[in-house]
Amino acid sequence: MNNREMAVLVENVPGVSSSEERYDNQIEVRADAFALPGLLSYLKSNGFAHLSNILAVDWIEEGEFELVYNLFSYVHKLHATVKARVDREIAHAPSILTLWPQAQVYEREIHEFFGILFDGNPNLEPFFLHNWQDSPPLRKDFDTEEYSRRAYGMIDDGVEHAKEQSI
Amino acid sequence: MTTTLDFAELTELTRTDKYVQYELFFGPNFPGMHGNFGYILDVAGSTITGVRANPGLLHRGFEKLMEQKLWLQNLSLIPRICVVDPDPNEVAYCTAIERIMGLEIPERAKYIRTITLEMSRLASYLMGMGALGAMMGLYTAMYRMISDRDTLLDLFEWLTGARIYHIYNMPGGVRRDIPEGWTERLLQTLDALESNIPEWDRLVFENPIVIKRLTGIGPLSADEAVGMGIVGPNLRATGFKADVRIDDPYAAYPYLEIERPDAGGGGDALARAVQIRLEYEATIRLIRQAVRQLPGGDYRLKLGNPLRMIVPKGDAYARVESSKGEFGYYVVSDGGVKPYRVSVRGPSLPAGLYLCNKHLPGMLIDDVAIWMASLAVCPPDFDK
Repeated sequence: MNNREMAVLVENVPGVSSSEERYDNQIEVRADAFALPGLLSYLKSNGFAHLSNILAVDWIEEGEFELVYNLFSYVHKLHATVKARVDREIAHAPSILTLWPQAQVYEREIHEFFGILFDGNPNLEPFFLHNWQDSPPLRKDFDTEEYSRRAYGMIDDGVEHAKEQSI
Repeated sequence: MTTTLDFAELTELTRTDKYVQYELFFGPNFPGMHGNFGYILDVAGSTITGVRANPGLLHRGFEKLMEQKLWLQNLSLIPRICVVDPDPNEVAYCTAIERIMGLEIPERAKYIRTITLEMSRLASYLMGMGALGAMMGLYTAMYRMISDRDTLLDLFEWLTGARIYHIYNMPGGVRRDIPEGWTERLLQTLDALESNIPEWDRLVFENPIVIKRLTGIGPLSADEAVGMGIVGPNLRATGFKADVRIDDPYAAYPYLEIERPDAGGGGDALARAVQIRLEYEATIRLIRQAVRQLPGGDYRLKLGNPLRMIVPKGDAYARVESSKGEFGYYVVSDGGVKPYRVSVRGPSLPAGLYLCNKHLPGMLIDDVAIWMASLAVCPPDFDK
């Protein structure tokens, strides 16, 4: 099965808003967040057995987080990128722990760095950051320079340091 | 009052797990640990009863840093995600950018990338096999293999100017062409490496102590491994045929014939060690094949001023088969001079942070380092 046929097949799954082929052997599926477990379970039973990773992108201007699931099928030799958007203020998404157990680690990581809650994941405790009390650091509105000034007490020494070049 | 020593009880104490439960910090400062990562083990006697991964001490915020640097500046940052095998990072990042830009790089560049990737794999396997020996007190293996690895680093230095972090690939190809006389020297080095293999067999892979220690450690079945996201030699050692170079080809791999050595599919630490050993031999032959087919022509597309590089809006995922399996880069561009988001998929995350909860309980403390070395758990690629 090539990526065109696969994209057409996935288009009919409930909750899918678009499904397109791209590059040589990839498909890109956009779906609603609540439909993720159903869609991913459909993809898994259709050969996409390998979960490469889960990640989040902060689209701050649109007020949304995008969750991206990268899957690979050893049967069809195809890659699937599944994207779902969640609201930035009420960041909730269903957990896919029952499909891939290692998703536990990815979801815990995303919760820590973006503040997205995964309903159904029992362990979302802090993992990488020790004693972190600030806003989640991979959000676009987290200013690293302002944070280090505040946390480590950087003093303005009056010296003109190299500024970022305007390109 | 005189105390009489009850020898029967004492032997019983040292033999079985009658010590009270205690907590053992395995790492961050432990010679068997690569990088400042650790496991907090609950131990009774010398048997592990519970485990908690303790990442974070190595976390440098790479993904946040990458959003603040120009497309090209990131190239000096990303090899640092994997110290032993840095080239897959560069190639995966560049391939993702080339996919977004819709570029097809010159044939020669593809072959040069392939050769450096495979050299990096050789260097990493030597380190891996040596570390496996060192975890069992067989330091001779470590010293001898590291000295073999050094001959490869010399070649890297000649080609790229650096021994460890080569920063050699860039979007559109590679930074400079292969110098005159380099390929001849590479072939000589490969002959020398190949002639040492019987010695490694005698020292490590036919060593009865090694075989006894490795048998049965961390067994994995193929279904389990696929369902958990285990990749690379660890997955192939379970008998499952999967290789990114064949399944999702990049660089010059579509033009090459890639061997698929089979270690018998045992799925335990011994099978994984043998798998690496067989792939080491196959990699040497693959480099020879690539050198034989090396075409002429350009080694890089001219993309204008690299510091003013702009990548069109879009996103792409690119995966590369590193010595530990699939290294993946998901790159998002909003059309600016910097990446909007870069996410790295480290190959050892499923083993290092998830599988440990299943494998380590019930194991002896002595076997943890062997388990880590056999699965090639490299903390910098998930604690990044």
